Amino acid sequence: MALPDSGLAVACGCPFVPPEWVRAHGVRPVRPVLDDLPAAVPMGVCGYAAGYAWALARAPVQAAVFTTTCDQMRRVAETIGRECPVPSFLFHVPATWQTAGACGLYRSELERLGRFLCRLGGAAPDRNTLVEVMEAYDAARRRLRDARGWLTGRALVEAIRAIHQDPETALDTIPMSGPMRKGIPLATAGPELTEGLLGVLDFIEARGGRIALDGTTTGERSLVEAFDRRALGEDPLGVLIDAYFGGVPCAFRRPNTLLYQWLKREMTARDVRGILFIRRLWCDMWAAEECRMREWASVPLTAVDAEDDGVTVRMATRLESFLEALR
Amino acid sequence: MRIAPKLGLDEMDRRHVSGHRPGGPDYLGPLRRHVDDGDLRLPHLLYDDSPASFRLWNFLLTEEDRLRAARASGKKLVGAMKDLGTAPVLAYAFPELTAFYPDGAWWIPCVMELSAGLLGIADSVGVGDSFCPVRAMLGAFLTEAHFPIPDLLTCSVGATCDDFSAIAQRLNGFGYPILWWEIPHRRAPDPDEPAVELPGGARAPAALVQFVEGELERVRAGFETLAGHVLTEEALRDGIRQANRVRAVLRELRELAYGSDPCPVPALEMLIAEMLAIHFCSDRAESLAVLGEMLGMARTRADHGVGAVPGDAVRVFWVNPPADLRIMNLLEDCGARLAGTDFMFTHALDPLPEDMPPMEALARAALADPMVGPAEDRARRICVDCERFGAEGVVVARIPGASHCAYEGESIARVVRDRLDLPVVELEAPPIIDAVTPGLRTRLGGLVEAVQSRRSGR
Repeated sequence: MALPDSGLAVACGCPFVPPEWVRAHGVRPVRPVLDDLPAAVPMGVCGYAAGYAWALARAPVQAAVFTTTCDQMRRVAETIGRECPVPSFLFHVPATWQTAGACGLYRSELERLGRFLCRLGGAAPDRNTLVEVMEAYDAARRRLRDARGWLTGRALVEAIRAIHQDPETALDTIPMSGPMRKGIPLATAGPELTEGLLGVLDFIEARGGRIALDGTTTGERSLVEAFDRRALGEDPLGVLIDAYFGGVPCAFRRPNTLLYQWLKREMTARDVRGILFIRRLWCDMWAAEECRMREWASVPLTAVDAEDDGVTVRMATRLESFLEALR
Repeated sequence: MRIAPKLGLDEMDRRHVSGHRPGGPDYLGPLRRHVDDGDLRLPHLLYDDSPASFRLWNFLLTEEDRLRAARASGKKLVGAMKDLGTAPVLAYAFPELTAFYPDGAWWIPCVMELSAGLLGIADSVGVGDSFCPVRAMLGAFLTEAHFPIPDLLTCSVGATCDDFSAIAQRLNGFGYPILWWEIPHRRAPDPDEPAVELPGGARAPAALVQFVEGELERVRAGFETLAGHVLTEEALRDGIRQANRVRAVLRELRELAYGSDPCPVPALEMLIAEMLAIHFCSDRAESLAVLGEMLGMARTRADHGVGAVPGDAVRVFWVNPPADLRIMNLLEDCGARLAGTDFMFTHALDPLPEDMPPMEALARAALADPMVGPAEDRARRICVDCERFGAEGVVVARIPGASHCAYEGESIARVVRDRLDLPVVELEAPPIIDAVTPGLRTRLGGLVEAVQSRRSGR
């Protein structure tokens, strides 16, 4: 089945903005690739936020969607208007999530985003179109979950990005089988990984570790659970909201108990023996969780600095020591 | 023109302790007693020589006593966090409740000159110096040594700074229950979207006001449970009226202090006076009396041409609360005076609407928070006030580690320069400025010189 495609694309990296919703409007959601970050970042500015703005200026998109999941990105959305030639949309993702009011606000923001996409040149989907798009994404995510055992950490992140942009094309790139990966099962936790930081995953896997659970924003944590197929036909938008707003665990949520529930469940199920925490300077939402996660976890936790943007000597020493201690 | 002198701490005590009237407030006493309690910064400040300012300082520095007395008398304590001005209006509508902002602990490192170790405690629990000094609040809660632990904590989240949100979550993680309520980003209404005007002049979609009203209803329900009864609409309307009385006095004080020549009230006392607006320093009636006395003093000085600073002081609009109170003395020492402020809570200075359902009035006020909308909105209001008070330059004080400060300075400076062609200086003030005073003096002095050059060039 051909998914709706107007030929337009929007930059849309936040896991709380359902790519299904964007694609159902005929617009491709694109996660900008942060691989060539600005050399100098103003004091206090999060490197990812600055890099996102940098990547956006060079991404082949006709619009950009920002969210309020952190103040840095909220502020970037304001400044981007002056530096980026494409229209932008700031989506307020409620930090609170346990009330009907917050869910209602999220829904109204989705609808507002839909109107923005229509003004851009997309088209509001009917129910059947939305269901078909959601089923395509669901199927791709199901294939990805089945392939977890033999995908490397890097391959998983790249597959998630590919699914986000086009689930049907991505489906063909996910291998149906492969040798099961071995190694000490680790979890990662933290904000988004830039392209340079994917090298950390490679490093770990080359030295006897295995990324059993990628709890970064670019990893498995951003994947929603399988849709309720019985409800999908009746209320696809409701199912989408339940899955995304009700289901994506993140440090920014208030309270952020879902994050720890998800980590506990998945770490237990996958016998994770250590946590690699990604810390990014000025990323306050995650920075405050490092110590708390260290206290909470029943397994060792080590942290690496995202600013290194690759495996530095210092980081390599730390990771090797960590793996050695876990053997 | 006569200049009212500034006094050191001991001289302030000598001149004013014995001078207060019989039957006056029982919290008055020598400021030195607070130094003995650990407020080591006080001897390093210069104070306005007036009974009104003496009362203001005493009122501020005895807040902890007041909170403990409120609890001892059977009142319940509400710790409102982040929203800076709205939740306490609701809380004080209940006679059984006293509200305060634990956020105010951010000044403890300054006032106690880091001796309380609160920042070190925050470091030890993983909230280091990449966070703003409000991380001291964590230490204050964990030591229980600086204010009584509230019976109920509320915290606005959503369109708020990351630092505070993360710190509040860390607090929650330590087992402190928090009633979280959402404040959405204040966006401009779409062309076909019903919109309303907010206090202060900004506009917002009516749907967002309705949403915030719903959130404040949850806060109200929390307060009703704590107080043990339902809040009537009349009681809430009265609460709003009482809050507006405080705001009206403060507004007139600001007009005099920032708009008059010579300037009748020094910058440091104006900073303290403005702070009373957000939670009345835990005593709404007394805050009205304190501000009323400050206003009386300001009027008298204005009538008699008495200034707190020389008449040719450069008029500066100040943005953001400084982490060290002493910088307000430094500003005047450099030849400037305040001509307008935005200490991040201008929404707590505007009158609350009294011609609409009271919960809607509070919702509009909450959405008017300058930190909830774009920095450009904030900058536009700054420009309006700069023109109103005749500001000749703007200082944007970066709060170390605050997420919004990484971006807003540039936005504010750009708008101010484009609209008003005023010089703008950005500076960062840590909780103790002593080591960086030469640098701050240079930056402030540079602004003053730039303005003076413009004056002579006209």
